[in-house]
Amino acid sequence: MKQFRTIFSFELRNYFKNKFFVGTTVFLMILIAVIMFFPKISGLLKSGTSEQKDAQQILLYAEDPEMEKTAETAFAQAFPDYHVSLAEGEEEIISRVKSGAADCGFWIKSDSEYVYYVNNRTMYDYNTEIADEVLRGIAQMRALTGSGMSIEQAGSILSVPVNHTVKTIGKDQSQNFFYTYIMIFALYMVILLYGQMVSTSVATEKSSRAMELLITSADPVSMMFGKVIAACLAGLIQLLCIFGTAFLLFNITRTDWQDNRIVTSIFDMPLHLLLFMLLFFALGFFIYAFLYGAVGSTVSRLEDINTAIMPITFLFIIAFIVVMTAMGSGQVDTVPMLVCSFIPFTSPMAMFTRIAMSTVPAWQVAVSVGLLGISVIGIGVLAARIYRVGVLLYGTAPKPAELLRMIRKG
Amino acid sequence: MKLELRELCKNFGTHQVLKGVSLKAESGTAVGLLGRNGAGKTTTLRILMNVFPADSGEILLDGKPIDYQKTGIGYLPEERGLYPKKIIRDQLIYFAELKGMSRSDAAAAVDRWLERLDMKEYSGKKLDSLSKGNQQKIQLITAVAHDPDIVILDEPFSGLDPVSAELLKEVVREEMRLGKIILFSSHQMNYIEEFCNEIAILNGGNIVLEGNLREIRHRHAGNALVVRSPEQEEICRYYNGRASLAEDGSLRITLADPRDRYREMRLVTEKWAVDEIRVFEPSLNDIFVQYTKNQI
Repeated sequence: MKQFRTIFSFELRNYFKNKFFVGTTVFLMILIAVIMFFPKISGLLKSGTSEQKDAQQILLYAEDPEMEKTAETAFAQAFPDYHVSLAEGEEEIISRVKSGAADCGFWIKSDSEYVYYVNNRTMYDYNTEIADEVLRGIAQMRALTGSGMSIEQAGSILSVPVNHTVKTIGKDQSQNFFYTYIMIFALYMVILLYGQMVSTSVATEKSSRAMELLITSADPVSMMFGKVIAACLAGLIQLLCIFGTAFLLFNITRTDWQDNRIVTSIFDMPLHLLLFMLLFFALGFFIYAFLYGAVGSTVSRLEDINTAIMPITFLFIIAFIVVMTAMGSGQVDTVPMLVCSFIPFTSPMAMFTRIAMSTVPAWQVAVSVGLLGISVIGIGVLAARIYRVGVLLYGTAPKPAELLRMIRKG
Repeated sequence: MKLELRELCKNFGTHQVLKGVSLKAESGTAVGLLGRNGAGKTTTLRILMNVFPADSGEILLDGKPIDYQKTGIGYLPEERGLYPKKIIRDQLIYFAELKGMSRSDAAAAVDRWLERLDMKEYSGKKLDSLSKGNQQKIQLITAVAHDPDIVILDEPFSGLDPVSAELLKEVVREEMRLGKIILFSSHQMNYIEEFCNEIAILNGGNIVLEGNLREIRHRHAGNALVVRSPEQEEICRYYNGRASLAEDGSLRITLADPRDRYREMRLVTEKWAVDEIRVFEPSLNDIFVQYTKNQI
């Protein structure tokens, strides 16, 4: 136990003495601070300038003057963030959109036909859908007034207020998508980064021959566990610093963010999810870091490390892709996700995503965590055995079957 | 303290690396473990350091199985290496702590050794900023700082300049005076001869020769005479083919039968003027080559 403590504190101290580690953490904290204060900074800059930037512009042109007038009013209501102005014709729309003087333009040919002009269309451009609605409303209004109804009557028919209340029995993905996304991404980055750091650390000790002394001074289980747990804690501390800064600054600048649903939803993460996040982070981290450490012990030169760890990295990337695809589609309880949430290599991300974005039966969570826990112990012991054999081998890295044979024979 | 390795055997797969290695060493003595590359020296040392167990055989300290919790072992590996990018003092304390010392004791011992080896000024520097010789000194501290009972030195003089070699010799002598058991593995026979009272030669996983170095040399003496004489040419002619000039200028007379050595000595001294005549004792190198030239 003393050896474990010694190795653990030595490794942890090394992280805190590592300029890159400290520098990256400080940089990310500053970056978070800049982001969190951005609305304030931007507000100050705006108030400091006398000429504000023009609002976004929509150009409108219709051959029928009556239609043009109606459409101008309706478009102004439908696009509240835009300034709607009239154009002389199609050419003006094209030239102004192309020059950037206007964001987009509509040539209304009739109440059922129009042309939309935009320079570079983004993936999230929903203007045509809004315009469809607007023109459909105009057409309906015209039809109703044409059949003898007054404008008021037609208006009241077309805009019957509908009140609705949403009662989410399970989880509301529109609320939890963003923090789940950020947490999964953080999990992915930290496990990949620190796992590789463990692996590089072992390989460095071997290539620098410090291992010759280490193997005669400490038992491999203490060495492996000391390294991995120190890396896990260093990763957690780094995350805590970054997210802690974000949380603290969000509370200071909360009023500036109240209109931003994405940001507010991220910081409204429930405590139980945070605890699940920590649990899956630790277990997922251990499982991969043990593997990375074991693989690191089988290579003799640092330049061989990338090739050696590639299969583990691929495994992890596959898990990440499965989870991200499921999150993107909004279907987190699909069969692949269900299977992945019980496989120890994929469950840290898959089960966490399901818990965050869906309703998972308690037994499934218990089984997943149980399997993961058992696997961590099993892989930890196996990794220590590989490590014990691997650190004594120099030259070409052994093949997995060869390695297993050596482990069996002690 | 008496260390005894008894009938150690070790196989790696189908390859039998040790075939019953036995060795004895006592406090205050240095034992030279000799052998060609691949003879099993490192495997023997690793078993002794509990890196992996022997398939059979035992290691006894004062007649009882060695207790690694209570027995300190210091090791200077042949393949030198520490953490090149880490602060020297920090890593020395780390290794001493791994060997069971408390942090404060480790720090005090490390400072004492840094002072002793004139390395105090480098304690806050990174290892890779030192010259190779100074790095060797730092490596030596890792082997002795925790005050071990057994010190294993694997090729300790390789790459050392004469001044550093003298310093190392001084340290080894002091450790012997303190009653430590020193195990010395080296191909540099002159150092073995200088330090080791006992030697063991490993060949193909077996100890092929073991014992007191002086006795071994004496046992292997007698098949030749060393003669220095102003009449060496006449002696050479007389012994026609059995006498040859050695590198040091003396005459080496090979005897047909070692039992005749005193009769031959008398004959030479009676017939010619002789400045020096003695029975030839082979060097350790000669003995080593004799026992290991046909590695199994």
